[in-house]
Amino acid sequence: MNTETRSIKNILLVEDDMRDVELTMAALEEHHLANKVEIVHDGAEALDYLYHRGNFKTRAPGNPVVVLLDNKMPKVSGLEVLKIMKGDERLKLIPVVVLTSSRETPDLLEFYKHGVNAYVVKPVDFSEFMKAVRQVGVFWAAVNEPPPDTGTEATSIPSG
Amino acid sequence: MQADQKSRASLKEIDGSKAALDEHAITAIIDPQENIRAQFAAIVESSDDAIISKTLDGIITSWNRGAEKIFGYPAQECIGQSMLMLFPPERVAEEAEILARIKQGEKVDHFETVRVTKSGKLIDVSVTLSPMRNDQGRIIGASKIARDITGRKQMEDARRASEARYRMLFEYAPDGIVVVDSKGYYLDANASICRMLGYARDEFIGLNATDIVAPAEIPHIGEALDVIKNKSDYRREWQFRRKDGSIFAVDTIATAMPCGKLLAVIRDITERKRAAEALAESQALYHSLVDQMPAGVFRKDAEGRYAFVNSFFCRIRNSTPEQFLGKLPGELPVSEAQFFSQAASHHVQIMQTGQPIEVQDEYHGVDGRTLFFHVVKSPVFAPDGKIIGSQGVLFDVTTHKHAEDEVRRLNAELEQRVIKRTAELEAANQELEAFSYSVSHDLRAPLRAINGFAGIVLEDFGSQLPEEGKRHLERIRDGGRQMGVLIDDLLAFSQLSRQLVNRQKINTAKLVQNVLEELKPQLDGRRIEIKIGELPACHGDPALLKQVWVNLISNAVKYTRGREPAIIEIGCAPENNEDVYFVRDNGAGFDMQYADKLFGVFQRLHSADEFEGTGVGLAIVQRIIHRHGGRVWAEAKVNRGATFYFTIEGGNKS
Repeated sequence: MNTETRSIKNILLVEDDMRDVELTMAALEEHHLANKVEIVHDGAEALDYLYHRGNFKTRAPGNPVVVLLDNKMPKVSGLEVLKIMKGDERLKLIPVVVLTSSRETPDLLEFYKHGVNAYVVKPVDFSEFMKAVRQVGVFWAAVNEPPPDTGTEATSIPSG
Repeated sequence: MQADQKSRASLKEIDGSKAALDEHAITAIIDPQENIRAQFAAIVESSDDAIISKTLDGIITSWNRGAEKIFGYPAQECIGQSMLMLFPPERVAEEAEILARIKQGEKVDHFETVRVTKSGKLIDVSVTLSPMRNDQGRIIGASKIARDITGRKQMEDARRASEARYRMLFEYAPDGIVVVDSKGYYLDANASICRMLGYARDEFIGLNATDIVAPAEIPHIGEALDVIKNKSDYRREWQFRRKDGSIFAVDTIATAMPCGKLLAVIRDITERKRAAEALAESQALYHSLVDQMPAGVFRKDAEGRYAFVNSFFCRIRNSTPEQFLGKLPGELPVSEAQFFSQAASHHVQIMQTGQPIEVQDEYHGVDGRTLFFHVVKSPVFAPDGKIIGSQGVLFDVTTHKHAEDEVRRLNAELEQRVIKRTAELEAANQELEAFSYSVSHDLRAPLRAINGFAGIVLEDFGSQLPEEGKRHLERIRDGGRQMGVLIDDLLAFSQLSRQLVNRQKINTAKLVQNVLEELKPQLDGRRIEIKIGELPACHGDPALLKQVWVNLISNAVKYTRGREPAIIEIGCAPENNEDVYFVRDNGAGFDMQYADKLFGVFQRLHSADEFEGTGVGLAIVQRIIHRHGGRVWAEAKVNRGATFYFTIEGGNKS
């Protein structure tokens, strides 16, 4: 993905399943939120994005207004991404919404323990899915007032 | 006799002359006749007996020194006086009698009587009186010889009293005493022996030893008599035979008396024998008990030498009592001394403190086995409280110890096994969790894709599709939706095995009320009569049991669809001291021949077209009830309704 030239987007979608990406984007499009979405396909890429590393070294500064995070992903899981974000002074204010297939209680507990802002189980049913994603997108990207430094340039790049 | 006559003649000469009786007068006589007379007079004078002469009237005519000594009067105070001065008043009559007999020429020989002395003392005298005749032979008086027999009398009395006393001793001696002649015949016997044998004395005297010893003892009699005749004492225990034939034991000691007869003292030792037998029996019992005891027993004297060891004690070391008795632990063979390393010090400690000692001892046995002993040592006290030794009991606790070790080993092993099993179980649980997670996450994603893209196609390209194409797409979406429900139910079911049962007291009536409240949306538009009976409290996991009630009641609601009215009864029927909860409906029911399939996962007795469902609800009910240690079952008839029953272990009556 040619990210260097892109401008900063408001939503970071972290999802490894391309079908889910497409369905999510379809839902967001209905409210014209799709063009504000940056898509990465695993936790490692998400961290690269957040820390301006790798492919995202030259991306425009600023944090997304919300991170829509899948949990079960290759390399670095959603939970691990969350832990790093909430442990970092510069990232911890970014709202994180988990969009996952799992309704398992332990997962729920782990995410809330580490400060997730919302936990949404992706419905299997198409119309319910569309409804859920739309609500999340509208709420976090349009209704919710994000913390002050989102959407602005990051002040420094961490060593790793 | 001749001397008597001569004396009589000489006395006749001096008759009537007081002076003639004077000593000097007598010694003065010098002619041959006179010489003889003088000799008599001297004899008379020197006699200790009183020699007195008197007339037939009883007047004293001569009085010798002996008379003076006995009666206290000198001659001059008596000569010419009446003889009656010597008589105590109560005996005065004797004189007339005596004189009468003398006059008759009779002699009174050794007449024992009582006379009175000058001092008034009564004395016993033996008197011999003879008539005195003159030359013509006429009786002119009497000579009297009186002897003071007071001393002799007293001796005789004493002897008699002594005899009586000895007789009494003989008679009343608690031991039997017999006098036997040299042939074994009884000459005398005391009351005790008669009593012992049951004879009267008269019957007994004259019997022979052979009559009173037990028949088996008869041969010993000769030997006994021989020994005694040889002046040796003979002591023996005999079996005697009573008059009634009964036999008893006696101890006898017999001796020869100077007279040649035998004296035997006999003691009934029945009691002693019995006591000795009882003691022997008790000792034998004690000995056999101590010896047979399955524990080592020993006793040591004050110095610490073994005074007693029992069989078990010896067996421990495969040795004999002789190897221990009289020895100090240090004097035992080296291996023994090692075994008894603490024996000497314990003994010293007990002797000093008087306190018992209890120890666990380990010992390498002769066969190389290690034996374990529980040893209790204590002081031995003399009756006066002094410590005179120590004693001990060694219990072989080897088996016990081995059992203990075995238990410990098994416990450790068990613990190890539990740890291993737990780890295995944890691993299995983790796998199951991972599996559930995978199902939950990975199965849903493709389903979502199926549903989602089918939905997009319908929405975006629906107008371009023929009706049949749209219907097929709808089928795809329905299938996907149903699969989603199945996955959710399956996950809920698998979660039950992992969930802990958190038991607490449950108000069942209230729980059921809440469930009905929650199910209200399902009841909308239905005519359903719900009858709730008594619902006792129980002990269980509130969330899980709520699930049970939800599933059972929703089933009742579902399967009564079409009934007008639908009737659902909820209650509890105590049975065999157990609360049996039930949910009854008048719905579709089922065929009892499939009852065993009812609670299986994904097992359904109705088609989804008839009654929707995944076949997980009753499986969940069964799993929850089983996890509560209860039972669940159902009764039904096709189209006549069904009743589901369940119990909860231990939760009913608390």
